Amino acid sequence: MTAAAELIGVTQRFGSFTAVDEIDLVVPSGQLTTLLGPSGCGKTTTLRMIAGYSAPTSGTIRIDGVDSTRTPPEKRHLGMVFQSYALFPHMTVADNVGYGLKLRKVPSAERRARVMETLELVGLAHLADRKPKKLSGGQQQRVALARAIAIRPKLLLLDEPLSNLDARLRVQMRAEIRRIQAETRLTVILVTHDQDEALEMSDEMVIMNEGRIVQQGSPQQVFPRPADRFVAEFLGYENFLTAADGTPLTIRPEHLRIAEQGQGLDAKVVDVAFRGVDLLVSLDVVDPSGATVRLRADVRNDAPLTPGSSVTVIAPDDHLVSLPR
Amino acid sequence: MKRPITAALAVIGYVIMIVPIIFVVATAFTSGSTLRFPPDGFSLRWFDEALGYEPFIGAAISSLELAVVATALALLVGVPVTLAVHRGKLPGKSLVEGLFLSPLIVPELVVGLALFQQLMVGLDLDNFSTLLVGHTALMLPYAVRVTGASLALADPALEEAARGLGASPLRAFFNVTLPILRPGIFSAGLLSMVTSFNNVPLSLLLQGRDFRTLPVTMLDYVQQSYDPMVAAASTLVLAATVVIAVIAERTVGFAKIFGGINQ
Ligand SMILES: Nc1ncnc2c1ncn2[C@@H]1O[C@H](COP(=O)(O)OP(=O)(O)OP(=O)(O)O)[C@@H](O)[C@H]1O
Ligand SMILES: [Mg+2]
Repeated sequence: MTAAAELIGVTQRFGSFTAVDEIDLVVPSGQLTTLLGPSGCGKTTTLRMIAGYSAPTSGTIRIDGVDSTRTPPEKRHLGMVFQSYALFPHMTVADNVGYGLKLRKVPSAERRARVMETLELVGLAHLADRKPKKLSGGQQQRVALARAIAIRPKLLLLDEPLSNLDARLRVQMRAEIRRIQAETRLTVILVTHDQDEALEMSDEMVIMNEGRIVQQGSPQQVFPRPADRFVAEFLGYENFLTAADGTPLTIRPEHLRIAEQGQGLDAKVVDVAFRGVDLLVSLDVVDPSGATVRLRADVRNDAPLTPGSSVTVIAPDDHLVSLPR
Repeated sequence: MKRPITAALAVIGYVIMIVPIIFVVATAFTSGSTLRFPPDGFSLRWFDEALGYEPFIGAAISSLELAVVATALALLVGVPVTLAVHRGKLPGKSLVEGLFLSPLIVPELVVGLALFQQLMVGLDLDNFSTLLVGHTALMLPYAVRVTGASLALADPALEEAARGLGASPLRAFFNVTLPILRPGIFSAGLLSMVTSFNNVPLSLLLQGRDFRTLPVTMLDYVQQSYDPMVAAASTLVLAATVVIAVIAERTVGFAKIFGGINQ
Protein backbone atom coordinates (compact mmCIF):
# COMPACT_ATOMS: atom_id res chain seq x y z
CA MET A 1 0.00 0.00 0.00
CA THR A 2 1.65 3.21 -1.19
CA ALA A 3 0.73 6.66 0.05
CA ALA A 4 -0.87 9.04 -2.45
CA ALA A 5 -0.74 11.80 0.13
CA GLU A 6 0.86 12.13 3.50
CA LEU A 7 0.29 14.75 6.20
CA ILE A 8 2.94 15.06 8.86
CA GLY A 9 2.22 17.14 11.97
CA VAL A 10 -0.05 19.46 10.02
CA THR A 11 -1.55 22.36 11.97
CA GLN A 12 -3.79 25.20 10.84
CA ARG A 13 -4.44 28.17 13.10
CA PHE A 14 -6.80 31.06 12.44
CA GLY A 15 -5.62 33.70 14.88
CA SER A 16 -5.60 32.01 18.27
CA PHE A 17 -8.05 29.31 17.15
CA THR A 18 -6.57 25.96 16.14
CA ALA A 19 -8.75 24.45 13.43
CA VAL A 20 -6.46 21.50 12.66
CA ASP A 21 -4.15 20.32 15.40
CA GLU A 22 -0.95 18.43 14.44
CA ILE A 23 -2.54 15.72 12.39
CA ASP A 24 -0.65 12.82 10.86
CA LEU A 25 -2.43 11.10 8.02
CA VAL A 26 -1.51 8.62 5.32
CA VAL A 27 -3.91 8.45 2.38
CA PRO A 28 -3.57 5.06 0.68
CA SER A 29 -3.21 5.10 -3.09
CA GLY A 30 -6.10 3.94 -5.27
CA GLN A 31 -8.59 3.84 -2.41
CA LEU A 32 -11.47 5.91 -1.15
CA THR A 33 -10.68 7.56 2.16
CA THR A 34 -13.33 9.52 4.02
CA LEU A 35 -12.77 12.31 6.51
CA LEU A 36 -15.68 11.99 8.90
CA GLY A 37 -16.59 14.23 11.79
CA PRO A 38 -19.09 16.72 13.18
CA SER A 39 -19.47 20.25 11.83
CA GLY A 40 -16.48 22.47 12.56
CA CYS A 41 -14.04 19.65 13.33
CA GLY A 42 -11.64 20.78 10.59
CA LYS A 43 -12.50 18.51 7.64
CA THR A 44 -12.76 21.26 5.02
CA THR A 45 -9.68 22.99 6.41
CA THR A 46 -7.71 19.75 6.05
CA LEU A 47 -8.95 19.19 2.50
CA ARG A 48 -8.10 22.78 1.52
CA MET A 49 -4.57 22.37 2.79
CA ILE A 50 -4.17 19.19 0.73
CA ALA A 51 -5.53 21.04 -2.32
CA GLY A 52 -3.23 23.99 -1.71
CA TYR A 53 -5.86 26.65 -1.09
CA SER A 54 -4.43 27.44 2.29
CA ALA A 55 -0.95 26.81 3.61
CA PRO A 56 -0.65 25.00 6.94
CA THR A 57 0.65 27.02 9.87
CA SER A 58 3.13 24.19 10.42
CA GLY A 59 3.72 20.66 9.24
CA THR A 60 4.44 18.96 5.92
CA ILE A 61 2.17 17.76 3.13
CA ARG A 62 3.55 15.22 0.67
CA ILE A 63 1.75 14.33 -2.53
CA ASP A 64 3.07 11.26 -4.37
CA GLY A 65 6.05 11.40 -2.06
CA VAL A 66 6.98 14.98 -2.98
CA ASP A 67 6.91 17.77 -0.40
CA SER A 68 4.13 20.03 -1.72
CA THR A 69 3.46 22.06 1.42
CA ARG A 70 3.97 25.39 -0.36
CA THR A 71 3.03 24.37 -3.91
CA PRO A 72 0.21 26.54 -5.32
CA PRO A 73 -2.98 24.66 -6.27
CA GLU A 74 -2.45 25.07 -10.03
CA LYS A 75 0.80 23.10 -9.80
CA ARG A 76 -0.58 20.20 -7.74
CA HIS A 77 -2.65 18.50 -10.41
CA LEU A 78 -5.49 17.51 -8.08
CA GLY A 79 -9.23 17.38 -8.79
CA MET A 80 -11.49 19.14 -6.32
CA VAL A 81 -15.28 19.09 -6.11
CA PHE A 82 -16.58 21.97 -4.02
CA GLN A 83 -19.66 21.78 -1.85
CA SER A 84 -21.22 24.54 -3.98
CA TYR A 85 -19.97 22.73 -7.14
CA ALA A 86 -18.49 26.06 -8.37
CA LEU A 87 -19.34 25.37 -12.02
CA PHE A 88 -18.37 28.23 -14.33
CA PRO A 89 -21.76 29.78 -15.14
CA HIS A 90 -20.68 31.33 -18.44
CA MET A 91 -19.36 28.09 -19.91
CA THR A 92 -21.24 25.06 -21.24
CA VAL A 93 -21.00 21.71 -19.51
CA ALA A 94 -18.44 20.56 -22.10
CA ASP A 95 -16.34 23.72 -21.65
CA ASN A 96 -16.45 23.32 -17.88
CA VAL A 97 -15.23 19.75 -18.14
CA GLY A 98 -12.65 20.67 -20.79
CA TYR A 99 -11.25 23.70 -18.97
CA GLY A 100 -8.44 21.84 -17.22
CA LEU A 101 -7.48 20.10 -20.48
CA LYS A 102 -7.45 23.39 -22.34
CA LEU A 103 -5.05 24.82 -19.76
CA ARG A 104 -2.89 21.76 -20.32
CA LYS A 105 -2.90 22.55 -24.05
CA VAL A 106 -4.51 19.27 -25.05
CA PRO A 107 -5.36 19.63 -28.80
CA SER A 108 -9.03 20.38 -29.37
CA ALA A 109 -9.98 17.09 -31.08
CA GLU A 110 -8.47 15.03 -28.31
CA ARG A 111 -9.93 17.38 -25.76
CA ARG A 112 -13.42 16.94 -27.14
CA ALA A 113 -13.00 13.18 -27.09
CA ARG A 114 -11.81 13.16 -23.49
CA VAL A 115 -14.60 15.51 -22.41
CA MET A 116 -17.22 13.24 -23.97
CA GLU A 117 -15.60 10.16 -22.49
CA THR A 118 -15.67 11.74 -19.03
CA LEU A 119 -19.26 12.88 -19.49
CA GLU A 120 -20.18 9.32 -20.50
CA LEU A 121 -18.61 8.11 -17.29
CA VAL A 122 -20.94 10.30 -15.23
CA GLY A 123 -23.88 9.70 -17.57
CA LEU A 124 -24.26 13.25 -18.88
CA ALA A 125 -22.99 13.09 -22.47
CA HIS A 126 -26.39 14.27 -23.76
CA LEU A 127 -26.14 17.54 -21.80
CA ALA A 128 -22.71 18.61 -23.08
CA ASP A 129 -23.94 21.85 -24.65
CA ARG A 130 -26.13 23.06 -21.77
CA LYS A 131 -25.23 25.84 -19.40
CA PRO A 132 -24.86 24.70 -15.76
CA LYS A 133 -27.80 26.84 -14.60
CA LYS A 134 -30.14 24.69 -16.67
CA LEU A 135 -29.21 21.50 -14.84
CA SER A 136 -30.66 19.89 -11.73
CA GLY A 137 -28.60 19.73 -8.53
CA GLY A 138 -27.69 16.11 -9.13
CA GLN A 139 -26.59 16.82 -12.70
CA GLN A 140 -24.52 19.82 -11.60
CA GLN A 141 -22.84 17.58 -9.07
CA ARG A 142 -21.92 15.10 -11.81
CA VAL A 143 -20.52 17.88 -13.99
CA ALA A 144 -18.36 19.05 -11.11
CA LEU A 145 -17.16 15.48 -10.68
CA ALA A 146 -16.47 15.12 -14.41
CA ARG A 147 -14.56 18.42 -14.47
CA ALA A 148 -12.33 17.24 -11.63
CA ILE A 149 -11.78 13.77 -13.13
CA ALA A 150 -11.11 14.95 -16.72
CA ILE A 151 -7.57 16.05 -15.89
CA ARG A 152 -6.81 12.58 -14.46
CA PRO A 153 -5.76 14.06 -11.15
CA LYS A 154 -3.35 12.54 -8.67
CA LEU A 155 -6.05 12.86 -6.02
CA LEU A 156 -9.76 13.49 -6.25
CA LEU A 157 -10.94 15.65 -3.35
CA LEU A 158 -14.66 15.82 -2.59
CA ASP A 159 -16.01 18.21 0.02
CA GLU A 160 -19.43 16.97 1.14
CA PRO A 161 -20.35 16.24 -2.47
CA LEU A 162 -23.74 14.77 -1.61
CA SER A 163 -24.99 17.15 1.06
CA ASN A 164 -26.92 19.38 -1.35
CA LEU A 165 -28.87 16.48 -2.85
CA ASP A 166 -32.19 15.11 -1.67
CA ALA A 167 -32.17 11.96 0.43
CA ARG A 168 -32.86 9.43 -2.35
CA LEU A 169 -30.41 10.90 -4.82
CA ARG A 170 -27.81 11.03 -2.09
CA VAL A 171 -28.03 7.29 -1.53
CA GLN A 172 -27.89 6.62 -5.30
CA MET A 173 -24.85 8.84 -5.72
CA ARG A 174 -22.93 6.95 -3.03
CA ALA A 175 -22.90 3.88 -5.26
CA GLU A 176 -22.27 6.04 -8.31
CA ILE A 177 -19.15 7.63 -6.80
CA ARG A 178 -17.91 4.21 -5.72
CA ARG A 179 -18.41 2.92 -9.26
CA ILE A 180 -16.53 5.88 -10.77
CA GLN A 181 -13.73 5.42 -8.25
CA ALA A 182 -13.46 1.74 -9.11
CA GLU A 183 -13.45 2.41 -12.87
CA THR A 184 -10.89 5.21 -12.73
CA ARG A 185 -8.83 3.73 -9.87
CA LEU A 186 -8.40 7.26 -8.56
CA THR A 187 -7.32 7.99 -5.04
CA VAL A 188 -10.30 9.74 -3.49
CA ILE A 189 -10.59 11.78 -0.30
CA LEU A 190 -14.21 12.41 0.56
CA VAL A 191 -15.34 14.73 3.35
CA THR A 192 -18.62 13.98 5.05
CA HIS A 193 -20.38 14.36 8.37
CA ASP A 194 -22.72 11.45 7.62
CA GLN A 195 -21.57 8.22 9.29
CA ASP A 196 -23.76 6.02 7.07
CA GLU A 197 -22.20 7.58 3.99
CA ALA A 198 -18.72 7.01 5.37
CA LEU A 199 -19.41 3.41 6.38
CA GLU A 200 -20.94 2.57 3.04
CA MET A 201 -18.35 4.26 0.83
CA SER A 202 -15.00 4.06 2.56
CA ASP A 203 -12.08 1.78 2.06
CA GLU A 204 -10.49 3.73 4.85
CA MET A 205 -12.23 6.09 7.26
CA VAL A 206 -10.63 8.85 9.27
CA ILE A 207 -12.68 10.20 12.13
CA MET A 208 -11.92 13.73 13.29
CA ASN A 209 -12.96 15.71 16.35
CA GLU A 210 -11.91 19.23 17.30
CA GLY A 211 -9.07 19.37 14.81
CA ARG A 212 -7.60 15.98 15.66
CA ILE A 213 -7.82 12.51 14.18
CA VAL A 214 -9.42 10.26 16.76
CA GLN A 215 -9.57 6.99 14.83
CA GLN A 216 -8.57 5.60 11.46
CA GLY A 217 -9.20 2.26 9.82
CA SER A 218 -11.51 0.35 7.50
CA PRO A 219 -15.25 0.48 8.32
CA GLN A 220 -15.00 -3.18 9.32
CA GLN A 221 -12.29 -2.29 11.82
CA VAL A 222 -13.78 0.94 13.11
CA PHE A 223 -17.47 0.18 13.40
CA PRO A 224 -17.32 -2.71 15.89
CA ARG A 225 -14.46 -1.17 17.88
CA PRO A 226 -14.94 2.58 18.40
CA ALA A 227 -11.81 3.97 20.00
CA ASP A 228 -13.52 6.24 22.50
CA ARG A 229 -16.85 7.57 23.66
CA PHE A 230 -16.90 10.33 21.03
CA VAL A 231 -16.50 7.89 18.13
CA ALA A 232 -18.99 5.51 19.72
CA GLU A 233 -21.64 8.21 20.01
CA PHE A 234 -20.89 9.44 16.50
CA LEU A 235 -21.39 5.94 15.10
CA GLY A 236 -24.71 5.47 16.87
CA TYR A 237 -23.76 3.65 20.04
CA GLU A 238 -26.34 5.06 22.41
CA ASN A 239 -25.89 3.01 25.55
CA PHE A 240 -23.09 3.63 28.02
CA LEU A 241 -22.59 1.62 31.18
CA THR A 242 -19.79 0.62 33.53
CA ALA A 243 -18.31 -2.83 34.16
CA ALA A 244 -17.81 -4.22 37.68
CA ASP A 245 -14.11 -3.23 37.50
CA GLY A 246 -15.00 0.31 36.44
CA THR A 247 -14.29 -0.02 32.70
CA PRO A 248 -16.67 2.09 30.57
CA LEU A 249 -18.70 -0.05 28.17
CA THR A 250 -20.95 0.71 25.25
CA ILE A 251 -23.46 -1.29 23.23
CA ARG A 252 -25.81 -0.49 20.35
CA PRO A 253 -29.59 -0.45 21.03
CA GLU A 254 -30.19 -3.26 18.54
CA HIS A 255 -27.81 -5.56 20.41
CA LEU A 256 -29.63 -5.38 23.76
CA ARG A 257 -32.17 -8.12 24.41
CA ILE A 258 -35.04 -8.06 26.87
CA ALA A 259 -36.28 -11.10 28.78
CA GLU A 260 -39.04 -11.40 31.36
CA GLN A 261 -36.66 -13.00 33.80
CA GLY A 262 -33.39 -14.93 34.01
CA GLN A 263 -29.69 -14.08 33.96
CA GLY A 264 -28.94 -10.47 33.12
CA LEU A 265 -29.29 -6.96 34.43
CA ASP A 266 -32.32 -5.93 36.47
CA ALA A 267 -34.29 -3.24 34.69
CA LYS A 268 -37.56 -1.34 34.73
CA VAL A 269 -39.35 -0.33 31.52
CA VAL A 270 -39.74 3.46 31.33
CA ASP A 271 -41.20 3.98 27.88
CA VAL A 272 -42.14 1.96 24.81
CA ALA A 273 -42.20 3.61 21.39
CA PHE A 274 -43.77 1.80 18.44
CA ARG A 275 -41.65 2.10 15.30
CA GLY A 276 -43.33 -0.19 12.82
CA VAL A 277 -41.09 -3.22 12.55
CA ASP A 278 -39.62 -2.81 16.00
CA LEU A 279 -40.03 -1.21 19.38
CA LEU A 280 -37.72 1.32 20.93
CA VAL A 281 -37.73 0.65 24.64
CA SER A 282 -36.28 2.98 27.27
CA LEU A 283 -35.20 1.25 30.44
CA ASP A 284 -33.67 2.09 33.79
CA VAL A 285 -31.00 -0.57 34.16
CA VAL A 286 -28.83 -1.47 37.13
CA ASP A 287 -25.43 -1.93 35.48
CA PRO A 288 -22.64 -4.29 36.70
CA SER A 289 -21.08 -1.49 38.79
CA GLY A 290 -24.37 -1.06 40.65
CA ALA A 291 -25.31 2.30 39.11
CA THR A 292 -28.71 2.86 37.52
CA VAL A 293 -28.42 4.01 33.90
CA ARG A 294 -30.99 4.86 31.24
CA LEU A 295 -30.53 2.55 28.20
CA ARG A 296 -32.42 2.14 24.97
CA ALA A 297 -33.14 -1.19 23.38
CA ASP A 298 -34.34 -1.79 19.86
CA VAL A 299 -36.39 -5.02 19.98
CA ARG A 300 -38.92 -6.89 17.85
CA ASN A 301 -42.41 -5.71 18.57
CA ASP A 302 -43.82 -9.05 19.69
CA ALA A 303 -42.41 -8.47 23.17
CA PRO A 304 -45.24 -7.77 25.65
CA LEU A 305 -43.77 -4.72 27.39
CA THR A 306 -45.56 -2.09 29.42
CA PRO A 307 -44.05 0.93 31.16
CA GLY A 308 -43.39 0.20 34.83
CA SER A 309 -42.89 -3.53 34.42
CA SER A 310 -39.72 -5.23 35.71
CA VAL A 311 -37.61 -7.09 33.17
CA THR A 312 -34.12 -8.46 32.60
CA VAL A 313 -31.77 -6.88 30.07
CA ILE A 314 -29.17 -9.03 28.35
CA ALA A 315 -26.05 -7.34 26.92
CA PRO A 316 -24.21 -10.07 24.97
CA ASP A 317 -20.46 -10.04 25.62
CA ASP A 318 -19.53 -10.15 21.93
CA HIS A 319 -21.36 -6.86 21.34
CA LEU A 320 -20.14 -5.04 24.40
CA VAL A 321 -17.30 -2.65 23.53
CA SER A 322 -14.94 -1.47 26.22
CA LEU A 323 -13.79 2.14 25.98
CA PRO A 324 -10.73 3.83 27.50
CA ARG A 325 -11.37 5.23 30.98
CA MET B 1 -52.40 48.15 -1.00
CA LYS B 2 -51.05 47.64 2.45
CA ARG B 3 -49.54 51.07 2.84
CA PRO B 4 -51.86 53.62 1.23
CA ILE B 5 -49.79 56.67 2.25
CA THR B 6 -46.59 55.30 0.71
CA ALA B 7 -48.49 54.37 -2.43
CA ALA B 8 -50.06 57.85 -2.68
CA LEU B 9 -46.66 59.50 -2.23
CA ALA B 10 -45.21 57.31 -4.93
CA VAL B 11 -48.01 58.27 -7.33
CA ILE B 12 -47.55 61.98 -6.54
CA GLY B 13 -43.81 61.57 -7.07
CA TYR B 14 -44.30 59.99 -10.48
CA VAL B 15 -46.79 62.69 -11.51
CA ILE B 16 -44.44 65.49 -10.46
CA MET B 17 -41.62 63.88 -12.41
CA ILE B 18 -43.49 62.82 -15.50
CA VAL B 19 -45.96 65.65 -16.20
CA PRO B 20 -43.27 68.26 -17.07
CA ILE B 21 -41.62 65.69 -19.33
CA ILE B 22 -44.89 65.14 -21.15
CA PHE B 23 -45.23 68.92 -21.65
CA VAL B 24 -41.72 69.18 -23.08
CA VAL B 25 -42.12 66.22 -25.41
CA ALA B 26 -45.54 67.45 -26.60
CA THR B 27 -44.29 70.98 -27.35
CA ALA B 28 -41.32 69.58 -29.27
CA PHE B 29 -43.72 68.35 -31.94
CA THR B 30 -45.47 71.69 -32.42
CA SER B 31 -45.73 73.28 -35.83
CA GLY B 32 -45.97 76.76 -34.25
CA SER B 33 -42.99 78.84 -33.19
CA THR B 34 -43.59 79.33 -29.48
CA LEU B 35 -42.97 77.03 -26.54
CA ARG B 36 -46.62 76.65 -25.61
CA PHE B 37 -48.99 73.99 -24.36
CA PRO B 38 -51.09 72.66 -25.95
CA PRO B 39 -48.93 72.72 -29.10
CA ASP B 40 -50.26 74.31 -32.31
CA GLY B 41 -50.48 71.38 -34.75
CA PHE B 42 -47.92 68.66 -35.40
CA SER B 43 -44.61 68.79 -37.23
CA LEU B 44 -41.03 67.59 -37.00
CA ARG B 45 -39.57 70.97 -38.04
CA TRP B 46 -38.02 71.73 -34.63
CA PHE B 47 -36.19 68.40 -34.60
CA ASP B 48 -34.83 69.36 -38.00
CA GLU B 49 -33.72 72.73 -36.63
CA ALA B 50 -32.16 71.24 -33.49
CA LEU B 51 -30.17 68.70 -35.52
CA GLY B 52 -28.97 71.49 -37.79
CA TYR B 53 -28.03 73.92 -35.03
CA GLU B 54 -24.25 73.96 -34.96
CA PRO B 55 -23.71 74.91 -31.24
CA PHE B 56 -25.92 72.00 -30.10
CA ILE B 57 -24.21 69.47 -32.33
CA GLY B 58 -20.76 70.65 -31.28
CA ALA B 59 -21.76 70.58 -27.61
CA ALA B 60 -23.33 67.14 -27.98
CA ILE B 61 -20.05 65.81 -29.36
CA SER B 62 -18.15 67.46 -26.48
CA SER B 63 -20.55 65.94 -23.95
CA LEU B 64 -20.20 62.53 -25.53
CA GLU B 65 -16.41 62.76 -25.46
CA LEU B 66 -16.47 63.76 -21.83
CA ALA B 67 -18.96 61.02 -20.92
CA VAL B 68 -17.02 58.27 -22.69
CA VAL B 69 -13.59 59.26 -21.36
CA ALA B 70 -14.82 59.92 -17.80
CA THR B 71 -16.64 56.59 -17.72
CA ALA B 72 -13.63 54.71 -19.04
CA LEU B 73 -11.42 56.34 -16.41
CA ALA B 74 -13.92 55.66 -13.63
CA LEU B 75 -14.09 51.98 -14.59
CA LEU B 76 -10.31 51.72 -14.95
CA VAL B 77 -9.84 53.09 -11.44
CA GLY B 78 -12.97 51.80 -9.72
CA VAL B 79 -13.02 48.16 -10.84
CA PRO B 80 -9.43 47.23 -9.82
CA VAL B 81 -9.70 49.13 -6.53
CA THR B 82 -12.92 47.32 -5.67
CA LEU B 83 -11.39 43.98 -6.58
CA ALA B 84 -8.36 44.68 -4.41
CA VAL B 85 -10.56 45.80 -1.54
CA HIS B 86 -12.80 42.75 -1.77
CA ARG B 87 -9.90 40.34 -1.99
CA GLY B 88 -8.70 41.76 1.29
CA LYS B 89 -5.38 42.84 -0.20
CA LEU B 90 -5.95 46.45 0.74
CA PRO B 91 -6.32 47.47 4.37
CA GLY B 92 -9.29 49.54 5.49
CA LYS B 93 -11.93 48.05 3.22
CA SER B 94 -14.81 50.17 4.44
CA LEU B 95 -12.73 53.35 4.48
CA VAL B 96 -11.68 52.94 0.85
CA GLU B 97 -15.17 51.96 -0.19
CA GLY B 98 -16.63 54.96 1.64
CA LEU B 99 -14.16 57.27 -0.04
CA PHE B 100 -15.10 55.98 -3.48
CA LEU B 101 -18.81 56.23 -2.78
CA SER B 102 -18.61 59.70 -1.23
CA PRO B 103 -19.29 61.60 -4.49
CA LEU B 104 -22.87 60.36 -4.10
CA ILE B 105 -23.25 62.29 -0.86
CA VAL B 106 -21.12 65.43 -1.26
CA PRO B 107 -23.12 68.13 -3.11
CA GLU B 108 -21.86 68.50 -6.66
CA LEU B 109 -21.58 72.26 -6.30
CA VAL B 110 -19.09 71.74 -3.50
CA VAL B 111 -17.11 69.28 -5.62
CA GLY B 112 -17.27 71.70 -8.53
CA LEU B 113 -16.07 74.66 -6.52
CA ALA B 114 -13.26 72.65 -4.98
CA LEU B 115 -12.12 71.47 -8.42
CA PHE B 116 -12.38 75.01 -9.78
CA GLN B 117 -10.16 76.38 -7.03
CA GLN B 118 -7.65 73.55 -6.91
CA LEU B 119 -7.30 72.52 -10.54
CA MET B 120 -8.31 75.42 -12.72
CA VAL B 121 -7.06 78.29 -10.58
CA GLY B 122 -4.41 76.42 -8.58
CA LEU B 123 -2.89 74.12 -11.20
CA ASP B 124 -4.01 76.08 -14.24
CA LEU B 125 -5.60 73.03 -15.92
CA ASP B 126 -7.87 73.64 -18.92
CA ASN B 127 -11.54 73.18 -18.36
CA PHE B 128 -11.85 69.88 -20.24
CA SER B 129 -9.28 68.23 -17.97
CA THR B 130 -10.93 69.70 -14.89
CA LEU B 131 -14.35 68.54 -16.03
CA LEU B 132 -12.88 65.13 -16.75
CA VAL B 133 -11.54 64.86 -13.20
CA GLY B 134 -14.88 66.00 -11.79
CA HIS B 135 -16.99 63.65 -13.90
CA THR B 136 -14.67 60.72 -13.26
CA ALA B 137 -15.01 61.25 -9.51
CA LEU B 138 -18.76 61.47 -9.92
CA MET B 139 -18.90 58.23 -11.91
CA LEU B 140 -16.68 56.24 -9.54
CA PRO B 141 -19.53 55.14 -7.25
CA TYR B 142 -21.20 53.31 -10.13
CA ALA B 143 -18.08 51.33 -10.93
CA VAL B 144 -17.40 50.56 -7.25
CA ARG B 145 -20.96 49.64 -6.41
CA VAL B 146 -21.61 47.39 -9.36
CA THR B 147 -18.29 45.60 -9.13
CA GLY B 148 -18.78 45.15 -5.40
CA ALA B 149 -22.30 43.81 -5.81
CA SER B 150 -21.30 41.40 -8.59
CA LEU B 151 -18.33 40.18 -6.57
CA ALA B 152 -20.45 39.67 -3.48
CA LEU B 153 -22.78 37.47 -5.51
CA ALA B 154 -19.99 35.49 -7.19
CA ASP B 155 -19.00 32.25 -5.47
CA PRO B 156 -15.41 32.63 -4.21
CA ALA B 157 -14.94 28.93 -4.95
CA LEU B 158 -15.17 29.69 -8.70
CA GLU B 159 -11.71 31.20 -8.87
CA GLU B 160 -10.38 28.45 -6.62
CA ALA B 161 -11.88 25.85 -8.92
CA ALA B 162 -10.05 27.40 -11.87
CA ARG B 163 -6.81 27.43 -9.88
CA GLY B 164 -7.26 23.77 -8.99
CA LEU B 165 -7.69 22.92 -12.67
CA GLY B 166 -4.36 24.53 -13.44
CA ALA B 167 -4.97 28.25 -13.95
CA SER B 168 -2.54 30.84 -12.58
CA PRO B 169 -4.20 33.54 -10.43
CA LEU B 170 -4.13 35.96 -13.38
CA ARG B 171 -5.60 33.45 -15.80
CA ALA B 172 -8.29 32.46 -13.31
CA PHE B 173 -9.23 36.13 -13.04
CA PHE B 174 -9.49 36.63 -16.80
CA ASN B 175 -11.19 33.30 -17.54
CA VAL B 176 -13.67 33.21 -14.68
CA THR B 177 -14.02 36.33 -12.56
CA LEU B 178 -13.99 38.92 -15.32
CA PRO B 179 -16.65 37.22 -17.48
CA ILE B 180 -18.90 37.06 -14.42
CA LEU B 181 -18.38 40.75 -13.69
CA ARG B 182 -18.72 41.81 -17.33
CA PRO B 183 -22.50 42.42 -17.53
CA GLY B 184 -22.33 44.49 -14.35
CA ILE B 185 -19.42 46.56 -15.58
CA PHE B 186 -21.13 47.05 -18.95
CA SER B 187 -24.33 48.44 -17.48
CA ALA B 188 -22.45 50.52 -14.92
CA GLY B 189 -20.61 52.03 -17.87
CA LEU B 190 -23.83 52.81 -19.71
CA LEU B 191 -25.45 54.42 -16.69
CA SER B 192 -22.43 56.45 -15.79
CA MET B 193 -22.25 57.71 -19.37
CA VAL B 194 -25.88 58.82 -19.18
CA THR B 195 -25.26 60.50 -15.84
CA SER B 196 -22.20 62.31 -17.12
CA PHE B 197 -23.95 63.35 -20.33
CA ASN B 198 -26.88 64.85 -18.44
CA ASN B 199 -24.88 66.45 -15.65
CA VAL B 200 -25.51 70.18 -15.10
CA PRO B 201 -24.05 71.43 -11.78
CA LEU B 202 -20.42 70.40 -12.36
CA SER B 203 -20.44 71.26 -16.02
CA LEU B 204 -21.99 74.66 -15.30
CA LEU B 205 -19.38 75.57 -12.72
CA LEU B 206 -16.46 74.38 -14.79
CA GLN B 207 -17.54 75.57 -18.24
CA GLY B 208 -15.20 77.57 -20.42
CA ARG B 209 -15.20 79.25 -23.80
CA ASP B 210 -13.39 76.37 -25.47
CA PHE B 211 -15.35 73.47 -23.97
CA ARG B 212 -19.03 73.34 -23.21
CA THR B 213 -21.37 70.40 -22.62
CA LEU B 214 -24.79 70.07 -24.22
CA PRO B 215 -26.92 70.71 -21.11
CA VAL B 216 -25.00 73.90 -20.37
CA THR B 217 -25.32 75.06 -23.98
CA MET B 218 -29.05 74.38 -23.88
CA LEU B 219 -29.38 76.31 -20.64
CA ASP B 220 -27.60 79.27 -22.24
CA TYR B 221 -29.86 79.03 -25.26
CA VAL B 222 -33.04 79.07 -23.18
CA GLN B 223 -31.91 82.22 -21.43
CA GLN B 224 -31.79 84.05 -24.78
CA SER B 225 -34.56 82.59 -26.89
CA TYR B 226 -37.52 80.59 -25.86
CA ASP B 227 -38.50 78.46 -28.87
CA PRO B 228 -39.48 74.78 -29.33
CA MET B 229 -36.02 73.83 -30.63
CA VAL B 230 -34.82 73.30 -27.04
CA ALA B 231 -37.81 71.06 -26.38
CA ALA B 232 -36.91 69.04 -29.49
CA ALA B 233 -33.27 68.74 -28.41
CA SER B 234 -34.36 67.69 -24.90
CA THR B 235 -36.68 65.08 -26.36
CA LEU B 236 -33.84 63.60 -28.39
CA VAL B 237 -31.59 63.42 -25.32
CA LEU B 238 -34.45 61.90 -23.34
CA ALA B 239 -35.06 59.24 -25.99
CA ALA B 240 -31.38 58.28 -26.06
CA THR B 241 -31.28 58.13 -22.26
CA VAL B 242 -34.31 55.88 -22.10
CA VAL B 243 -32.88 53.50 -24.68
CA ILE B 244 -29.60 53.22 -22.79
CA ALA B 245 -31.34 52.81 -19.43
CA VAL B 246 -33.46 50.00 -20.83
CA ILE B 247 -30.35 48.22 -22.11
CA ALA B 248 -28.70 48.62 -18.69
CA GLU B 249 -31.79 47.36 -16.91
CA ARG B 250 -31.97 44.34 -19.23
CA THR B 251 -28.34 43.38 -18.64
CA VAL B 252 -28.14 43.62 -14.84
CA GLY B 253 -31.04 45.49 -13.36
CA PHE B 254 -31.17 48.74 -11.45
CA ALA B 255 -31.63 47.06 -8.11
CA LYS B 256 -28.07 45.76 -8.34
CA ILE B 257 -26.62 49.05 -9.55
CA PHE B 258 -28.35 51.35 -7.10
CA GLY B 259 -28.76 48.88 -4.26
CA GLY B 260 -26.11 47.86 -1.83
CA ILE B 261 -25.11 51.27 -0.46
CA ASN B 262 -25.26 49.71 2.99
CA GLN B 263 -23.35 46.55 2.18
N1 LIG C 1 -10.73 31.23 7.19
C1 LIG C 1 -11.08 30.95 8.46
N2 LIG C 1 -10.91 31.88 9.44
C2 LIG C 1 -11.24 31.62 10.72
N3 LIG C 1 -11.77 30.45 11.14
C3 LIG C 1 -11.97 29.49 10.23
C4 LIG C 1 -11.64 29.69 8.84
N4 LIG C 1 -11.96 28.56 8.17
C5 LIG C 1 -12.46 27.70 9.09
N5 LIG C 1 -12.46 28.25 10.32
C6 LIG C 1 -12.90 27.59 11.57
O1 LIG C 1 -12.21 26.38 11.69
C7 LIG C 1 -13.06 25.35 12.17
C8 LIG C 1 -13.05 24.19 11.23
O2 LIG C 1 -13.67 24.60 10.02
P1 LIG C 1 -13.92 23.59 8.82
O3 LIG C 1 -14.57 24.38 7.76
O4 LIG C 1 -12.68 22.89 8.49
O5 LIG C 1 -14.97 22.60 9.47
P2 LIG C 1 -15.69 21.35 8.81
O6 LIG C 1 -15.25 20.17 9.57
O7 LIG C 1 -15.49 21.36 7.36
O8 LIG C 1 -17.21 21.64 9.19
P3 LIG C 1 -18.55 21.51 8.31
O9 LIG C 1 -18.98 20.10 8.43
O10 LIG C 1 -19.47 22.44 9.00
O11 LIG C 1 -18.21 21.93 6.91
C9 LIG C 1 -14.44 25.99 12.34
O12 LIG C 1 -14.62 26.29 13.69
C10 LIG C 1 -14.36 27.23 11.52
O13 LIG C 1 -15.17 28.24 12.10
MG1 LIG D 1 -16.75 21.73 5.67
